[in-house]
Amino acid sequence: MDIERIKYERTGGFTGMRIAADIEPNDLPEEQAQTLLDLLDDLDFPELPEFLTGDSSMPDQFTYTITVESQEWKHTVVTSDESAPEKMQELLQILNRIARKKIRKQ
Amino acid sequence: MHKHSPINCIIPPDMLKNIATKGTEAQKNLAMNTIKVSAQLRGKRSALADFTAATFRVAVGGKERIIYDANNGSNLPGTVVRREGDPASTDVAVNEAYDGSGVTYDLYNNIYSRNSIDGNGMRLDSTVHYRVGYDNAFWDGEQMVYGDGDEDLPANERLFNRFTIAIDVIGHELTHGVTQFEAKLQYFQQPGALNESMSDVFGSLVKQYQIRQIASEADWIIGAGLLTSNVNGVGIRSMKAPGTAYDDPVLGKDPQPAHMRDYVNTISDNGGVHINSGIPNHAFYVTALELGGFAWEKAGQIWYVTLKDKLTATSRFQDCADLTYQVAAELYGAGSIEQQAVKKGWAEVGLTAGGGGPTPPPDGGGCLGALLRLLGVAPAK
Repeated sequence: MDIERIKYERTGGFTGMRIAADIEPNDLPEEQAQTLLDLLDDLDFPELPEFLTGDSSMPDQFTYTITVESQEWKHTVVTSDESAPEKMQELLQILNRIARKKIRKQ
Repeated sequence: MHKHSPINCIIPPDMLKNIATKGTEAQKNLAMNTIKVSAQLRGKRSALADFTAATFRVAVGGKERIIYDANNGSNLPGTVVRREGDPASTDVAVNEAYDGSGVTYDLYNNIYSRNSIDGNGMRLDSTVHYRVGYDNAFWDGEQMVYGDGDEDLPANERLFNRFTIAIDVIGHELTHGVTQFEAKLQYFQQPGALNESMSDVFGSLVKQYQIRQIASEADWIIGAGLLTSNVNGVGIRSMKAPGTAYDDPVLGKDPQPAHMRDYVNTISDNGGVHINSGIPNHAFYVTALELGGFAWEKAGQIWYVTLKDKLTATSRFQDCADLTYQVAAELYGAGSIEQQAVKKGWAEVGLTAGGGGPTPPPDGGGCLGALLRLLGVAPAK
């Protein structure tokens, strides 16, 4: 997959504070970028349903909106803490870590 | 309680309910998970709420807590680390979850004669150390879940401490459970903001009750101690002065309104449930201050009875104003100082309790609501 950009947004949660980041794999350390791309590949991201929210109305859970863009395609998935499939948890964790790091450096 | 994989085939819902009620422990768990997953797939939570109490929780007749450790993973509930009556752990998060859920149980039981979340002795389950770098806490329909904040980042980049550090966060999460069993306020727009506000109100009362603090001496801050010293802020929300809890270069500014004229229309955060809760939060604060003394006694009683007996899934701010006003009359008499205090509380946020008054901005219906439901962001009508 030739991924150009990953847009990450997290809303809701106890604090109600939104965080968002545009992540370009090219700007990441090589190892981290590879892990990220492998995870997206493993998930077959472009084939995932758009809403993996199940029950997005659970009190205080985060809602995650992830948009992955390549030259050929663009796909958005919306999910939440407990309804995200097991395989997606690691992806959420990495994206969240990158985003949290990023907003602290802006 | 171990969570098995859900049953991945088509079983009639009634059969599942039967298994969940009458099966062996393992069958019950399996059936419950299937009901839960199916409910999630359908985007409904009612199926879960209806069966949680009946099948999972045995009425034990008193306070019973279990604390689990997720060991930084996302599997719930995790490993048991402390049961009711066990000595204190060496893990501070475990003890905070244990003690905080204990004080919350005590407030509801001693003051409002409510035996636990469901009113029937439901066991209080809490999981600590959920995931890595998880700056959140939530109630998942069955239990409380707490993250450790920014423990994975270098100390000078951390914004959040562990979420058990503030007892009002614990009271907040448990109150989501109470709301699930009582008013069942849908978690969206005004009913959702009322759901959030009820959690802040009783979360704050748990904290005041723990230290036997009177209304005028309380800080009315939600999540005091949650933000690290790297943040310019005193907590997550202020019931006394919504919109002033933090103002920080990284976190931004507290977005809460304190008045209907500043109501925020947004599709984010389930329609701003953590934003517009500032309005009913402030109404409670003003009422409690007006009455003086311990806020859990009169103001808390009025709000509790309203949550338990009056509010419904689709109640809005005006309904809450009218119903608290009505409950105040039922408990303390029409025209009583209690009822006048309630009226003043809502007046301060721009709502006339018990007498019609200005129509709040529309939401839920109309184009925006219909669009959100179509997108699956909002619950179906």
